[in-house]
Amino acid sequence: MLIKMNNVFKTYVLGEVKVPALHAISLNLEDNEYVAIMGPSGSGKSTLMNIMGCLDTPTTGTYYLGRKDVSSLNDNQLSDIRNTKIGFVFQTFNLLPRSSALRNVELPLIYSGMPSLKRKQLAMDVLERVGLNDRMMHKSNELSGGERQRVAIARALVNKPSLILADEPTGNLDSKTGEEIIEIMQRLHEHGNTIILVTHEEYIAKQTKRIIRLRDGVIESDEKKI
Amino acid sequence: MIILENILMALQSLKTNPLRSVLTLTGIAVGIGAVLYVVILGNITQQRINDRLESLGSNVLLIRPGYSHMRGVRTAQNVINLKWDEAKEIKTTSDVIIAAVPRYTGQGVAEFKDQNWSTRVTGTTPEYETVNNDHPIEGRFFSEDELNRRARVCLLGATVHEKLFGNHSPIGESIIINSKRFTVIGLLGAKGESWHNPDDVVFVPLTTAQERLYGVDYLSSILAQMRSADDYDESLFDIETILRRNHRLRSDDENDFRVRRQDLFLSAVQETNQEIANFIIIIALVSLIVGGIGIANVMLVTVTERTREIGLRRAIGAKKFHILTQFLVEAVILGIIGGILGTVGCMGFNYFFTGNGLSIPLNWVGYSFIICSGIGSIAGLYPAFQAANKNVIDALRYE
Repeated sequence: MLIKMNNVFKTYVLGEVKVPALHAISLNLEDNEYVAIMGPSGSGKSTLMNIMGCLDTPTTGTYYLGRKDVSSLNDNQLSDIRNTKIGFVFQTFNLLPRSSALRNVELPLIYSGMPSLKRKQLAMDVLERVGLNDRMMHKSNELSGGERQRVAIARALVNKPSLILADEPTGNLDSKTGEEIIEIMQRLHEHGNTIILVTHEEYIAKQTKRIIRLRDGVIESDEKKI
Repeated sequence: MIILENILMALQSLKTNPLRSVLTLTGIAVGIGAVLYVVILGNITQQRINDRLESLGSNVLLIRPGYSHMRGVRTAQNVINLKWDEAKEIKTTSDVIIAAVPRYTGQGVAEFKDQNWSTRVTGTTPEYETVNNDHPIEGRFFSEDELNRRARVCLLGATVHEKLFGNHSPIGESIIINSKRFTVIGLLGAKGESWHNPDDVVFVPLTTAQERLYGVDYLSSILAQMRSADDYDESLFDIETILRRNHRLRSDDENDFRVRRQDLFLSAVQETNQEIANFIIIIALVSLIVGGIGIANVMLVTVTERTREIGLRRAIGAKKFHILTQFLVEAVILGIIGGILGTVGCMGFNYFFTGNGLSIPLNWVGYSFIICSGIGSIAGLYPAFQAANKNVIDALRYE
């Protein structure tokens, strides 16, 4: 079992008002699952992603990632978990614009304290896997949108995470490059990675193996394809 | 490891905004430049004072008569009470005073052929030559024998020599001082300008001055040479004991003579220079503070501009500490570059405008490095804390 969420609540306090974002979410995920999370805005899917990605902690409830209860970890421990266990892919890529593709991919390894030579080698290997062997030294603002997202995927992969969280990875791309990115995701899944994809697009969700729909902070449906 | 990465990151981020970085640095650069320039100026002053001390000797005390009192009112008139015998007594009695040179100085007119010059005439003993380290550049000093004989021989200071003889050697010539004929036996080297012109003087034996020229039995001053500058307290005690006894002063009477250390007098000059230096230092400090505020300001802007970057770094595993050091290192590097610019600017200014050939002492280059890093880190602290404490989720979504 990779993810085990039990009765997770998340409530935001805005001034005097308590805004419930997640309501009694319980959820299990096995290794090598390929999941889409869908739902209208305000449904709590971003909050769920943040908690799954260890960017945030639940107000109540437990969240086990692997064998570790991460719902009670402090800031530094969460940083470590994000650094070693989770790979993020964002809608807006979030690359350092004036740094090379290679440098961007190296970044997580810098924070895990890997020596320079080793991490360069690792970053180059991953960039090759997403098909960017000839663009490694380009600054990321010299790359096209699809290339940027592939750099971001390489960055998410470089620390060999247990979980890849992709938040609308095709949202800023035209449909053709979007499909390329989804193909890469598919391939990663086939190679054994666990992927959670947040998306608005039904056709993207259909390519995954499991679709979780959220509405008003609760799980509306959870369908698995067999 | 992380620090090295931080330095590289900081340099890269400075490179992306070169104009802004340079403008931010000016305050620090001007401040450091000013501080270093004060240091150079201080060294110049110190060097001059040291030169003077060397010629005077740092262990020389000047004993002068006190002011006379008219019914309790102090007057400008000196008491006439210092005697040659007292100089001899001071030298023989005190263990720490190795020489006591008596001097009597009066006004005189020196004449040679159709030239004449009004100058000071100082009568002294042959000891003067060694105690004051003032050797004739031509001819010789007068001897004990000449002193005893009240010989009519004299040595000329550089100014008197020039006024009477121009470029000619005066040795062996005969000149008239206050209507009495003297033979010139020596010429003293020029000592340069000071509070008064030390070269505008004629030296004669003390006996000659007292008995033949001025008809007095007292002295203008005594130069007492201590064994070393550390013997000041003991020397002062010996001098006071001897003079107070000779002058029959009661225990509650004030001294009727004054003792002054030559080096202390010079340190008064030094103090004045120090005051000027302090003033420049204050300006420099203001400039450094303004520079620090400049750095803090630009760092705040940078932190806001890079909110998303901070969010991303945190998301992929950077701890608060990493973000904190990243921005702190950036601020420190800004400060250090400012310091380097200031140092180079100061050296350039000194080279082209003062041309005194002095450079910044190395330890001060070190200090300025420390000052700049200090300012940078203080200025960067608040922005760096702000960066480190940003909410990761909000930072990632920041537009």
